[in-house]
Amino acid sequence: MNDVYEWIRTSVQALAQQGDIPQAFEYGFVINALLCALLIGPLLGGVGTMVVAKRMAFFSQSIGNAAMTGVAIGVMLGESYTEPYISMFGFCILFALLLNYTKGRTQLSSDTLIGVFLSVSLAVGASLLLFVSAKVNTHILEAVLFGSVLTVSNTDMNVLLVVTCVVLAFGIPLFNNMLLASLNPSLARARKVRVELMEYIFVLMITLLTVACLKIVGAVLVEALLLIPAAAARNVITSLRGFVILSMIISTISCIAGVLIPMQFDLPLPSGGAIIMVAASFFILTTIIRAVFPAYRSAKN
Amino acid sequence: MSGPSIQCQQLGLRLGGVEILSAIDITIPAAEIHCVIGPNGGGKTSFVRSLLGQMPHSGKVEISWDSAPGSKQKNTIGYVPQFLDFDKSLPISVYDFMAMICNTSRPAFAGFGPGKRQLCESALERVGLKGKSKTQLGSLSGGERQRMLFAQALIPQPELLILDEPMTSLDNRGEEIFLSLIEELRSQGVTIIWIAHDLQQVRELASTISCINRTLVYAGPPQPFLDSDEAAKLFRFTRPAADTAPAQTTSTGATL
Repeated sequence: MNDVYEWIRTSVQALAQQGDIPQAFEYGFVINALLCALLIGPLLGGVGTMVVAKRMAFFSQSIGNAAMTGVAIGVMLGESYTEPYISMFGFCILFALLLNYTKGRTQLSSDTLIGVFLSVSLAVGASLLLFVSAKVNTHILEAVLFGSVLTVSNTDMNVLLVVTCVVLAFGIPLFNNMLLASLNPSLARARKVRVELMEYIFVLMITLLTVACLKIVGAVLVEALLLIPAAAARNVITSLRGFVILSMIISTISCIAGVLIPMQFDLPLPSGGAIIMVAASFFILTTIIRAVFPAYRSAKN
Repeated sequence: MSGPSIQCQQLGLRLGGVEILSAIDITIPAAEIHCVIGPNGGGKTSFVRSLLGQMPHSGKVEISWDSAPGSKQKNTIGYVPQFLDFDKSLPISVYDFMAMICNTSRPAFAGFGPGKRQLCESALERVGLKGKSKTQLGSLSGGERQRMLFAQALIPQPELLILDEPMTSLDNRGEEIFLSLIEELRSQGVTIIWIAHDLQQVRELASTISCINRTLVYAGPPQPFLDSDEAAKLFRFTRPAADTAPAQTTSTGATL
């Protein structure tokens, strides 16, 4: 795969040198960041519609927080500071499975339970990260928390590519069953859908995605990119197809703009923050459209 | 085609240390309408879910499908839930919902698979929702949503149909549609288990009934029980104090 990335980089750099595209593309890391943005944009936008429909936004937030603990464990175990993927995937998957397992076996409502897990994961993650931070360059911490396009490596892109394939392979054929399982579990069971299995698969999909997107969007903000494009699309859309497509478009534009704008204008912004600000402006825009044009307000709430 | 018959032996259910159901012995005949009645909170829905194997029940439940040689039986169960709990601002249209039901692996946002649109349209037509296919679920009235839930239970044609208080939010037209569909399906040999609250409808349509109030109060033909003092006591005098559900009174009969 690395050869393919190299080929893309060389070709785009050649174009930039000829002046056909902006000069920023002469840098390899800009192209890396853009490739990642093109992958995670549609992916997070599409999966985000499911997250919104299944009301699981805070779940992905707690996975993002758990990733901080994962990074800290990775650093303690001697993994590479910049790519502690084994610890991140390992810890986050365990965390997600434990959360989902507990959810099915407690009387607590799921938002209370997720709230508990979310705060615990934040507390443990932040404490451990500060504990190991003496060993780590603080820029790396920032990159984990808020995303940094400068540090995207070939390994990061490979991880993202594999995760994309896995998510597509499970997410597309099981989309209907996962949605039905959350709309009405009883009906889903009567239609021979394995509701618990669907929940576990969905939770694992979100976990893999969250970890794979850390470099670009950051642990703190990855949930926002799952949530905001879908929420923005929902304001002005009445069908599922439009919902998914518009959410993917908004998310992709946000990712690309969030990566390019700070570089183009030399702004010292973390990529995660910039991406979310662009997405948020879409949300504000669609909210205004919905408020101004009564046609968009037809659905009873 | 003939739907299955169902036998229960000593069916019981405990959830979180609370006894929900105990010692239920009942046989539900094939290809008939069987109504489940009982006071609210008496465990009717839990009973039906136990029949479907969705609850950690004790005892034995046996669904005897028609296994005659040459039978094209696919053991299909249609289920109409009491309501659909979802975020009403979600942009899901009636078509999207039906595509989610009809399609196997093609995601609902990619539209219908080959031949599936026809299937869905005829089901929607049977419940009188033909013109509503592009309406968002959140914009449907409670009765229309209920009819859509009935439409999904018709795909594919069920052999066993479970109705969980389907009439609760229905308007008069919806009720007529439901009653005629239930009759039609029965005549085609479908076994129907119907959690009902309108005793007049039960009297008119059910071949057999069971009355569940934590345990089996009665099982058999509807008439003798509905005329008994026990039924009068159970349904007329236990309900008002504890009931906070929406009014279920209809013009035709007593309510539970």
